[in-house]
Amino acid sequence: MAEGFRLRVRYGKTGRLRHLSHLEVIRACERSVRRAGLPYSVTQGFSPKIKAAFGPALPVGTAGEREYYDVWLTSYVPARTVLERLAGASPAGLAPQAVSYAGGREPSLSAALTVARYRVLVASPATWPEEFGKVLAGVVGSGTLAVEHKGKTKVFDLARSLPEEPRVGSEDGFLVVEITTRIGQEGSLRPEALVHEALSSSPKPGSLIAVTRTDLLVEAGKEWLRPME
Amino acid sequence: MATPAADVSAGAESLLPLVERPARYVDGEWGARHRPEASYRTALLYPDTYELGMANQALAILYDRLNAIDGVAAERVFVPWKDMAAEMRASSTPLFTLESMQPVRDCALVGVTLPYELTYTNVLEALDLAGIPLRSADRAEADPLVVGGGPCAFDPEPMAPFFDAILVGEGEEAVVEIVAAHRAAIEARANREETLRRLAGVPGVYVPSLYAEAPDGGMRPLGGGPAVVEKRVLRDLGAFRPPTCPVVPFMDVVHDRATIEILRGCARGCRFCQAGMVYRPVRERRADDIVRDSLAALACGGYEEVSLTSLSSSDHSLIEDVVRRLSRRLEGTDVTVSLPSLRVDAFGLTLARLLKGKRPGLTLAPEAGTQRLRDVINKNVTGEDLLGAVRAAFEAGWRRVKLYFMIGLPTETDEDVAGIGRLVGEVLAAAREATPADQRGSVRVGVSVSTFVPKAHTPFQWDAQLTLPEVLRRQKILRDAMPRKGVELSWHDASASFLEGALARGDRKVADVIERTWRSGAVFDAWTEEFSLDRWLAAFEEEGVDPVVLAGPRDAKAPLPWSHISSGVSPAFLKLERERAERAVATPDCTFEECTGCGVCPSLGVENAIAGGSRG
Ligand code: SF4
Repeated sequence: MAEGFRLRVRYGKTGRLRHLSHLEVIRACERSVRRAGLPYSVTQGFSPKIKAAFGPALPVGTAGEREYYDVWLTSYVPARTVLERLAGASPAGLAPQAVSYAGGREPSLSAALTVARYRVLVASPATWPEEFGKVLAGVVGSGTLAVEHKGKTKVFDLARSLPEEPRVGSEDGFLVVEITTRIGQEGSLRPEALVHEALSSSPKPGSLIAVTRTDLLVEAGKEWLRPME
Repeated sequence: MATPAADVSAGAESLLPLVERPARYVDGEWGARHRPEASYRTALLYPDTYELGMANQALAILYDRLNAIDGVAAERVFVPWKDMAAEMRASSTPLFTLESMQPVRDCALVGVTLPYELTYTNVLEALDLAGIPLRSADRAEADPLVVGGGPCAFDPEPMAPFFDAILVGEGEEAVVEIVAAHRAAIEARANREETLRRLAGVPGVYVPSLYAEAPDGGMRPLGGGPAVVEKRVLRDLGAFRPPTCPVVPFMDVVHDRATIEILRGCARGCRFCQAGMVYRPVRERRADDIVRDSLAALACGGYEEVSLTSLSSSDHSLIEDVVRRLSRRLEGTDVTVSLPSLRVDAFGLTLARLLKGKRPGLTLAPEAGTQRLRDVINKNVTGEDLLGAVRAAFEAGWRRVKLYFMIGLPTETDEDVAGIGRLVGEVLAAAREATPADQRGSVRVGVSVSTFVPKAHTPFQWDAQLTLPEVLRRQKILRDAMPRKGVELSWHDASASFLEGALARGDRKVADVIERTWRSGAVFDAWTEEFSLDRWLAAFEEEGVDPVVLAGPRDAKAPLPWSHISSGVSPAFLKLERERAERAVATPDCTFEECTGCGVCPSLGVENAIAGGSRG
């Protein structure tokens, strides 16, 4: 039992806390674990660190509805107790939602989670989901998307990056764009890049209001599964 | 007063995606207090960015104290960075408090801590963004009371016109009394003038509008306030628990750790040091309390480190016992204990070995390069002590020490300046000698050199600061005398120190200069890349105030612009200390030896409190 008990936590990154960076989220979650008084494992060595591993990073500004991290415990604590204690020790915007034990040999979250679903909210003077859907389909049909980031241009192969066709709907006067992307080793397509591209080639103006990652999934053959229920 | 006004939170929130480091403005941290039911709201402003302000202990203490009062809410405010300020102005979003995201100007009271002179323009920036008139005289009944405090309250005049009241000294008890006085005034429907008179009745509170400049250079009471405002001081520090459930920032702030203040005050008596004079007497917390509160702060905050802070933590009579006990309790965890700095002496090394985790840095502050000058400033340490300690540290495995020096101390000669280089050379040689031959390449001595700034309420308050050209000349002497290999030399910006000096002993006329400089675009002066001495010099010139005179020598017989503020240390003691400096005569530390008569204890009815019974 050198590894300890591997506990998986699902949590949200919501409200104003969507403006936190990945590192800030990690530190905040680790501090919640300490505050909760859980018997967490620490790494070996001269300056031990809490043993935890996080799912794929969310950028500053993007909210997350179902995010995950694993933390190792030195002794077994019932999942319900863990959830209660964590809930009482977490900032509201990073509240834990569910906890379960994971197998010690399962691949890491960052290796396993390869599909992400997003919801992008766009404000536009007119709602025109069908029209915008066509514009978006046109962008996807073009096959590639060049994205500039920190002075470098990266070209995404959209057939690979988008395992599903984006869907456009409307809600409360906003356009709601649902985008599923593949998370790659070589950098992942950010959904807002796709929406920006569509907006720039669309006949009507619109502006991006909010981006939320709604799901993170594991590809198991033809199926996509959640890393815990 | 404090009527709920237009909701600005939606507007404020829409700015967050547009600015860098939005975590500065999001609130929602663990430990943040939300008290929407409170009828009396206060905003606590730290006049710099979030990441600096969140390290400030005074703010954390007052936040704790005020939020513990029934019906009172205290919320945090920091100065928005330039990008945010521009967005706020463009969208007419007023400065808001973090917790409720409501306008600062709708609070009943705005408390502002004044940590150092270079934040003065930030205070004006914040007031302006808040839509509060800059000057007390221009504020209307509906405007909040703007109350200052903190280290700069000991020479309040340069900022006095911008404040309705300024608290001198320690805030734990006084803020509660200030709020009570204000609430009573509101209850009694007192107007602003009457409210300020009532505040002037709270011990330690200075109400600038009740004083005017006197022809002799001092300040003259106009009635309604005491002739001399005496600082507030806690008799029993142990009666006030430090905050053990502090706000835990998301951002990587300066000093991102739990902090427990283990003692207040320092009586070593360095003659240049304002903190050492104005925070007397020395009050140590009890060892049991420190251990209890450290563990409580770690449990509540979830931090990975607790720092035992004070002006001089290794002076605590029971520090070794405290560190041993805490280290034992934290054994096997990822949580560490730290001390803000460790002196290089035998005791410092013992402590350093007790602290687990990364090897703490060792620092040494000889301040001056020759024994004569160290005697002048009452730095009671000899060159031999230093070299012996350095040898011991490098034998024990350290490969780096950091030395702090000042140039421009009173009576300094070129010989003293060159002496710094010589001493560093000796330290380096001792360090190398004590290091195994194959590791000598990694020996480093960090040397930080600042310019001496004479401060109010110190024995050197009458002395002159070096002029800028003279600083540059002495810096050259120092550079020539300094060994190159193995030394990492850093300088404090001489022009910023010059300004600090002009502001630190300024009078009320300086307020006009500060306002003019802010109007010409100055903000974040403590950020090297934002600072412009020229902008300040232009404002001094236009206001007809000579900064060189402010930084120059003062007449020891005339009142000073801060003579109406008392730290409890008597002017006679400061004069005596100045004479002893001239003769290079030492004055011992009254926590090791007997009372040396500074006057604090008898005049304020306090005494040194040494947890272990005695020091040394
Ligand atoms: S009055 Fe005496 S004992 Fe008290 S702080 Fe001053 S020198 Fe020390």
